[in-house]
Amino acid sequence: MNGSRTVEEQRSGSPGRAGYRPGAAYDEMFAPDGSTRPHYQTLRDRIDTLGAEELADRQQTLERSFLLQGITFTVYGAETTTERIIPTDLFPRIIPAGEWATIEAGLIQRLKALNLFLADIYGEQKILMDGVVPRDLVLGAPSYRRQMQHLYVPHQAYVNVCGSDLIRGPDGGFAVLEDNLRVPSGVSYMLANRDASRRTFPGTFRQAGVRPVERYPDLLLSALKSMTSEWRPNPQVVVLTPGVHNSAYYEHAYLARLMGVPLVEGRDLAVHDNLVFMRTTAGLRRVDVIYRRVDDDFCDPLSFRRDSELGVAGLFNAYRAGSAVICNAPGTGVADDKAVYVYVPKIIRYFLGEEPILPNIETFLCREPAQLSHVLANLDTLVVKAVGASGGYGMLVGPHATAAERATFAEALKADPANYVAQPTIQLSTAPCLVDGAIEPRHVDLRPFILSGDKVVVTPGALTRVALKRGSLVVNSSQGGGSKDTWVLAADETAAAPAAGEEAVSEEAAPGP
Amino acid sequence: MMLARVADSLYWTGRYVERAEHLSRLSAVMLNATLDRTDVAGQAARIALSAVGDQVGHESLQAVESARGLVLDRSGGGSVVVSLSRARENARQVRDQITSETWERLNLVYLRTGDGSAEADFEEDATGFLQAIIADLHLFKGAADATMSHGEGWRFMMAGVYIERAQLMARLLKVCFSRGQSPALSDHMALLSLLRMACALEPYLRVYTADINARFILEFLLFDKEFPRSVGFCTARIEENLASLSQGRETDRDSGRGDPLRLAGRLNARLSYADVEEVEATGADALLAAVAAECAAIHQAMYETFVAYPLEQRLPA
Repeated sequence: MNGSRTVEEQRSGSPGRAGYRPGAAYDEMFAPDGSTRPHYQTLRDRIDTLGAEELADRQQTLERSFLLQGITFTVYGAETTTERIIPTDLFPRIIPAGEWATIEAGLIQRLKALNLFLADIYGEQKILMDGVVPRDLVLGAPSYRRQMQHLYVPHQAYVNVCGSDLIRGPDGGFAVLEDNLRVPSGVSYMLANRDASRRTFPGTFRQAGVRPVERYPDLLLSALKSMTSEWRPNPQVVVLTPGVHNSAYYEHAYLARLMGVPLVEGRDLAVHDNLVFMRTTAGLRRVDVIYRRVDDDFCDPLSFRRDSELGVAGLFNAYRAGSAVICNAPGTGVADDKAVYVYVPKIIRYFLGEEPILPNIETFLCREPAQLSHVLANLDTLVVKAVGASGGYGMLVGPHATAAERATFAEALKADPANYVAQPTIQLSTAPCLVDGAIEPRHVDLRPFILSGDKVVVTPGALTRVALKRGSLVVNSSQGGGSKDTWVLAADETAAAPAAGEEAVSEEAAPGP
Repeated sequence: MMLARVADSLYWTGRYVERAEHLSRLSAVMLNATLDRTDVAGQAARIALSAVGDQVGHESLQAVESARGLVLDRSGGGSVVVSLSRARENARQVRDQITSETWERLNLVYLRTGDGSAEADFEEDATGFLQAIIADLHLFKGAADATMSHGEGWRFMMAGVYIERAQLMARLLKVCFSRGQSPALSDHMALLSLLRMACALEPYLRVYTADINARFILEFLLFDKEFPRSVGFCTARIEENLASLSQGRETDRDSGRGDPLRLAGRLNARLSYADVEEVEATGADALLAAVAAECAAIHQAMYETFVAYPLEQRLPA
């Protein structure tokens, strides 16, 4: 929090335009000529009227409210266990209606294609026979689950919840960096950040015309229910969490509470005669849909990892028997594999016959010898990622690495080229953030959430992740990233700013919780 | 109908919150007694420490040292900070079942008594620190009452609160009024301390006026129907909550297990229809021992009935 910062420093930092120097990257708030982008005008005007101290004050109020609500993740140290809040920035990131329309259409198209792809590779495997995607790449991936073959999945909705990572490059266009199809998290921060930013900038929020994200729990519940409602009217939905020690536990509890469904752990469930039950105070009750926030490997010790105690013995068999549905389906990870990612544009063309609306980032597959030698020759400009890893682990950001680090990584690459892909280092767009009392540009990405059941819907909002270290391009929370709220506007420009006096009255900070 | 694990956690949240409040109050009274010059401080410390089951060398301990242990000891199981952290941990595991208003009250107390800050606050102003905790816990109970549905989950939490309270009160009374207890509690200041430890001073005065008398105090703390910390009040609430929890549940006639509602009803009847004269003549030992034992039996029966039942018995037909 702000403990280390003295009042003196807070005063000296000058907020507003004066100290703000965007780099070469696309800036979300300012055009290259220094003018404010129209959709940011209302916020910009508001920030200009606030002093450094007041901004710091609002930032502190926001952090305290997160701590009080228990929106924390747990850090396990050698001796003590502490709970920290995820650093949250008070300035919202704003996306105009026109840009959002493209993003939305692109995300829906992509998830439809990926669900069809999953249905195909766990079914007839036409796309493999037609040679569009290499057979060994799919069937050899550790995330391909043979157990899923020829299993009926309603609406072919293998991925019910998807949290894609988008980035905006220097040209200003959005592109997909990663499809997170396993158990994507972060949606609780989208909702909690929204709650906070409504309190931090109430007047600006009202004026800007921000589309609501509050329907998410409702949409999630109906997507989950649609997975079984054909044969079980009024299905019982539960959220399956690994438990209170999981770093995303807050989110699991939050979603269960907002959907009004039980939050269960593996030990609360039991499978009997291929039916799934939960242990209640009044005996055993049938469970129909399990929104699991547990990885494939830990779902069922009988079908996946035997040493796991997080899951439920026999759960997968009950799923195969059709008496309960696991959401997301096991085995979806194969479609967000970093090597399969390269083929997603082809997958979209193959299944939908359409051009991809959102492009991929150019990616080199190190399993191809020609591309490997290109990667090795250009390590200092590329980002290299291990195919199976996530969360910002096991990657090399070439321009920011030392020669020795690059040499070590090159050896690893040569030893197991199929395990790596490489991408050019993209200057993610920057957005203004309050850092030590001053407003500075920080690199951001965008994680919207797409739901799929009987239909595919995108919630108009997202989690904007922020790389808090100056110049850093890594936004993962496990690597010191933070987040901020994302405002999707109903119109392309915010309404013209009213007279200063009127604004000042309407912008009284709302009382805290 | 709710998850068995959730019911168990809510029950324990109630118990730990009640325990933290009781320990805070005992410590506050103990510290307050040190201000007097008589040996009241020693007596108050003896009462408080015996009432929490601490038997080792309390004669030599200073009241301040004892209070510090009761409040801050993080190693053992029975201090205020440990109870608060366990209450909060239980609540966190059922975060989806508790309203945000209720949760935030408890989380706030927990954050305030986190590592380091509790020690510093205690040294600076122990009484103020303890009173703030007690007030926060009252706010917690108020928020639970005012914002949570008074359904099954709330009932489990309240059952936890009252079972814990009945046991704590029984233990406190046993320390003060047991026949074998020497020296017998007669000192006026010690009796006042006892009333304060039971949070009963003002309600007592209202009923008996300022006639501070061991016999009346025992009667009041055992049987008063309206005072929320009398043993009789607690057993009535235990029965009431279990009656609500057992609604629509057929009893396991064949299993031979204790039915929690039957046990609670019997305990409450013991208190409701007790012969006050007899208790005064023969002492309260037997009754207090029965309260302690039957609360433990109710606790066990609840666990076996609602939480850890064998799966085979409870499959839907």
